[in-house]
Amino acid sequence: MLLSDIITPELFASAVRLATPIALAAVGASICERSGVVNIAMEGLMLIAAFSGTAVALLSGSTWLGVLAAVVASMAFASLHAWASINLRADQVISGTAINILALGTTGYLMETVFGHPGTTDPVRTIRPVFDFPSGGSGALATVWTWVDTVLFSYTPIVYFGMFAAVFLTWALYRTRWGLRLRSLGEHPRAADTVGIDVYRGRWSAVLASGFMAGLAGANLTLEQVGSFTEGMTNGRGFIALAAMIFGRWVPGGGYLAALLFGFADALQLKLQIFSDVIDIPPQFFLMLPYVLTVVVLAGVVGRAVAPAAVGKPYKAKG
Amino acid sequence: MTADPGPVVCDLPETGPSPDPVLELRHITKRFPGVLANDDVSIAVAPGEVLALLGENGAGKSTLMNVAYGLLAPDAGEVLVDGRVVSVRAPRDAIALGIGMVHQHFMLVEPLTVTENIVLGGEPTSAFGVIDRDVARRRVVELSDRYGLKVEPDARVRDLSVGRQQRVEILKALYRDARILILDEPTAVLTPQEVNELFDIVRELVSEGLAVVIITHKLEEVMAFSDRIVVMRAGRVVGETVPSACDEQSLARMMVGRDVVLRVEKSPHQPGSPLLEVMNLSVLDDRKLPAVRDVSLVVRAGEVVGIAGVDGNGQRELVEAIMGLRRPTQGTITLKGRDITHDNPRRTIAAGVSHVPEDRHRRGLVLDFDLVENVALGDHRRPPFSRYGILDRAKLEQEARRRIAEYDVRTPDEHVAAANLSGGNQQKLVLARELGRDPDVLIAAQPTRGLDVGAIEFVHRRILAERDCGKGVLLVSMELEEVMSLSDRILVMYEGRVVAEFEGGAVTEEELGVFMTGGGRPGAEALGSEGTDA
Repeated sequence: MLLSDIITPELFASAVRLATPIALAAVGASICERSGVVNIAMEGLMLIAAFSGTAVALLSGSTWLGVLAAVVASMAFASLHAWASINLRADQVISGTAINILALGTTGYLMETVFGHPGTTDPVRTIRPVFDFPSGGSGALATVWTWVDTVLFSYTPIVYFGMFAAVFLTWALYRTRWGLRLRSLGEHPRAADTVGIDVYRGRWSAVLASGFMAGLAGANLTLEQVGSFTEGMTNGRGFIALAAMIFGRWVPGGGYLAALLFGFADALQLKLQIFSDVIDIPPQFFLMLPYVLTVVVLAGVVGRAVAPAAVGKPYKAKG
Repeated sequence: MTADPGPVVCDLPETGPSPDPVLELRHITKRFPGVLANDDVSIAVAPGEVLALLGENGAGKSTLMNVAYGLLAPDAGEVLVDGRVVSVRAPRDAIALGIGMVHQHFMLVEPLTVTENIVLGGEPTSAFGVIDRDVARRRVVELSDRYGLKVEPDARVRDLSVGRQQRVEILKALYRDARILILDEPTAVLTPQEVNELFDIVRELVSEGLAVVIITHKLEEVMAFSDRIVVMRAGRVVGETVPSACDEQSLARMMVGRDVVLRVEKSPHQPGSPLLEVMNLSVLDDRKLPAVRDVSLVVRAGEVVGIAGVDGNGQRELVEAIMGLRRPTQGTITLKGRDITHDNPRRTIAAGVSHVPEDRHRRGLVLDFDLVENVALGDHRRPPFSRYGILDRAKLEQEARRRIAEYDVRTPDEHVAAANLSGGNQQKLVLARELGRDPDVLIAAQPTRGLDVGAIEFVHRRILAERDCGKGVLLVSMELEEVMSLSDRILVMYEGRVVAEFEGGAVTEEELGVFMTGGGRPGAEALGSEGTDA
């Protein structure tokens, strides 16, 4: 086994692809928590989206209709969380947990009722990559081109949207009226209220935005990558996204980069599994890699990251 | 709804408001569960006027002003601006009407910059909601120059002193073109110098035609800079006057409803043997930065040692180190010759140190516990309150009732939660517990913060009573008057060091203020100039 067998352009492209659902959710969760609402329901929202997207794509025959359904379903469940934690001032962690459990149960149940069997759905036609450049010739130039083409131009639309969203939202958070108000909501909602900012509306839109992003994350997972739905397929990605959000210090771009780290770990373990008989380490150890990384990140770096001051605290407008 | 309010008995004296009030509140009534916070209250303020709204805590001053600012909806009554009845349902309505309010607890977003805080909610934008930061900054600088309110527009609010933060709050109101400025307890957290600066700013604003309402319970301030005084007690307006027609004594009587001893009577200083000795103590703060640097002090029997200083100069860490709540990095703490440097709070208390913490909600009391349990805290392990780890509820209740009576805690009974008591009664409850176990040394941190004159009087008398029966008291306070009137000796802390020491009564507020802010005259009793940094 050579190092060049492992460090290939495909490794990096695979890292980006594997990172994308986590990254989308991390970006969405950053926005949500900046408004002062904890959203540990990202896992459940992604799962709902993954199921809805696949189901609609299969039944309608249109993958893009599936993407739309994924987003709508995720936002619908996110609005449950918004209603409970903003209007009813419920404990946000409890509400989020409830949605995670609800999502697991609902998708399992609908699997049976819609498709007549548990487990995995039929395959759907996945979305094609945006670009399709011809690979050219041989020689050094061709090698460079293979790297560029694979690492930059091999992705599906939602992957590119994730990159755009991370950059745009980071800029918007610090440069726009929306961003300034969002940050004030998560730090000191009463201060925002006393200067005439509608705390409830601001938080609602942030929770819905996180639902939108979770919807895309679910759609990316099923309609761009796997091509089918399996019960419980999000497999902790929503929680890893929260770790990425914290690692990224509640900045969308930071969350995206942290998610890339997790994606890279995942890509690496997939690659190393292939070589597991050569290097004589059981493949289960590589499988652990992304999760071990999560624990290490949460235990080490995260201790010093400062959450928005008012995150998780319900706000009561008037006495 | 404008139903006929019926015949109104107006018992205001003849000093009534100026003819054209810019803000008027008429017959405001506001009920909270169990409390009538405002009972048919009417006030008015005119442009160019400073109106002081004077009253004890719980008199209903803040409630009234929160109604004017749209934070509370009144049960009855109306708000008039420029003589017209207006509807103020939310702060944004108040802002649109030109009403600005600086709250007692600042409404600032600490991680944001000064400029961001000022423009928040009314941001100048170029296309698509992008904040025009140049315009924002320029407007802040313009306002700041015009009213002499110096601020650093790009500084983060959390890095500013409290006085500076208050300026940002005032600028926030001015940025929104406030014509009426409400200041809620504006001097509670300021140094004497900052108080004077604030008064200059208020004068400047009033000369520009603003109307200013100041909510306060501090008599000397009311006398010093208001044009007119409205006194509230128990939700009602009980009097209206002008500073030239009254004195502090008569205002206090009006405010409390009885005669109040404003000047603390103190017997001569007769220090005995040293009780608490702190030697070369250094302590780190939560960020692991030096907070207390090489501090030495002695508290003797029969004396009050006061520590003056601006909040955040190491006082908190010093107290925590003495109480065993924070580990010192060097130095020793002894009580009656016994080393207690590394004792935990339980052992420190057992050794004879009692502690009135500065934050009575977080550390002084368990708010959800009833009065019995709060009195028992810390003594609950000892007989006769418990045996073999089982509480003797009857004994506890009996003891609680005795202390509640002794310390005049006003409560329906001993089974209500501590959260339901007023601030003054909560503090009395803390004293009942801490002094009730008969300590040798009392550490009192900000013992009267947020209390009204009646409760302050009680706390002060209790502290001096401890001193007079041979206990030692270490008093940490930002209220200079309190430090000066109670202390036999005064230490000034600045940046973790004791920078000056004075005999009580031998120093003025201004002199202390200079040392508190890092100044100091050569030749004065300054101690910190040697600078032997470890």
